[in-house]
Amino acid sequence: MTAPSLEVTLRPDRAGTATPVIRIGAFDGPLALLLAVIEARRLDVLTVPLGDLAEAFLEALAHLEGDRLPSLSSFVEVAAQLILIKSRALLPRPPAPPPGEGLEEGFDPEEELRRRLVLYRAYRDAGRRLAERLAWPGLFHREAGVAAAAGLAGARPPQEPPLDPAALADALRGLARLLPPPELAPGRLVREITMEERADAIRAALRAAPVIVLQELLRGVRDRVVAAVTFLAMLELVKRRELIVEQAEPWGPIVCRRPGEGGA
Amino acid sequence: MNADPPGEPTLAQLEALFFVAERPLSRREIARLAGTDVGTVDERLGDLQVALRERGIRLVAAGERVELVTAPEAGALIARYIGAEGLRLTPAGLETLAIVAYRQPVTRSLIDGIRGVDSEYVLRTLLHRRLVVELGRADTPGRPYLYGTGFEFLERFGLTSLDDLPPLEAEIAATLAGEDA
Repeated sequence: MTAPSLEVTLRPDRAGTATPVIRIGAFDGPLALLLAVIEARRLDVLTVPLGDLAEAFLEALAHLEGDRLPSLSSFVEVAAQLILIKSRALLPRPPAPPPGEGLEEGFDPEEELRRRLVLYRAYRDAGRRLAERLAWPGLFHREAGVAAAAGLAGARPPQEPPLDPAALADALRGLARLLPPPELAPGRLVREITMEERADAIRAALRAAPVIVLQELLRGVRDRVVAAVTFLAMLELVKRRELIVEQAEPWGPIVCRRPGEGGA
Repeated sequence: MNADPPGEPTLAQLEALFFVAERPLSRREIARLAGTDVGTVDERLGDLQVALRERGIRLVAAGERVELVTAPEAGALIARYIGAEGLRLTPAGLETLAIVAYRQPVTRSLIDGIRGVDSEYVLRTLLHRRLVVELGRADTPGRPYLYGTGFEFLERFGLTSLDDLPPLEAEIAATLAGEDA
C-alpha cells in the first residue's frame, strides 16, 4: 500500500564486481541514504566502521536522481561527518588532552552518527510495521452524508462493469429527438423602432388624408413601445412645425393636421 | 421531557449517544450531558469497551475524546460499501508518522533531527490527511507547534488505541530512553 521510494539495484562495474546503485525517495534524508548504503552491503550498523563508508556515500549521493537542492545541506553535513570520521581513523591520534580542556572532550563523531542512524532506523522500521497494518481496510466511523452517498452508489451492483459512455451519448441523442425545437418567446425578440420610422408613418397617413386621429393611426397596434414611439414622433413633428395637434379634452381624440390645412 | 435519570449513564445510553453523535465526544462532554463526573464516565466507557468486543462496533479513544467505529473484521465489507480507497504513504511519510505516533506530543524540529532532513512537506501532507493533528504549542522558546496522531490515524491503521501500536524493539526503547535523557 506504500509508494516505493528506496530502491537498491546491483550494477556490475568494469572489474565485474556488483556495485549497489541506490535510489531514495524525494523526501528521504541523508540517514536513509547512509543506512541504505550499509544495508546494501549487508553490514551491521552497530559495528561497521562508518568512516569506511564515506566514499560509498558520496558515490551514492552523486547518483541520486531529482532535485535535491532544498535538502542538499543535510546530505553534505552527513558527508562531512563521514569524512571527518575517516580522517580521524587514518591520522594518528594526538595525545588526549587533560580533562577539562579541548572542545571535543568526550565527543566521538562516529558514535554520535551511529546513534543517530540506530534511532532513525528504529522509526523507519516502525513505519514499515505500520505499513503492514495499512493492508487492513481500517475502521470506519459514522459521518453525515457518507451512507447516503454509498446508498446512491450502491444502486448499481459493485461487480457490474462500468457504464459505457456510448450509452449516455445515445440517450442524449434520443432526448434531443423527443424535444421539439424551442420557440423564442415573442417578448424576447430584439427589434428596433426608430422615431424617424414612426414620423414617416404619420407623414404617409397625412398624405392620404388632410386630418388624422392618432388613436385611429394606432388602431391595431398592440405593442405599447410602438404606440409610445409614435406619440414621441408626433411631438417631434410638432416641434419641427410639420404638424399641428389638437385634443379637445383629456383622453379625447388627438387630431393631427399639417399646418395650413385649416383648423377643425 | 427527559425520562433519563441524571447520574450514571447506562451502557445502552452511551452506545446510543455515540451512535447519534457522528463525531468524537470528549469524556467531559459526556459527563456534563449525563450529569455525572468524568471518573464515572471513564468507568462506564471501559465497561462499554468490554461489552462491544464481540460486536460489529468498537470504541476508539484518542486522548480525551472517544468515538464509535466499525470492528476491524468488518472493515473490508464497509470499505466495499462506501467505496473507500486504500491509503498510500511514502516511506518518508511512514517514518515521520511513526515518529509522531511513538513520540507524541512532538515538535517538527525533533522530527527533523531524527530524520536528518527537513520534514515540513511530509508533515504537512500528514496533517492534510488528518493522520497527524496539532495538539497545541510547546512552552519552549518560539512556542513551536506540538503534533500527535488523530482519530484518522487509529482508524486507518486499525488501532482502537495508541496502546495497540506495535511495540518498539527493546534495544530501540533503550536508545530512546537514552535520547530522552
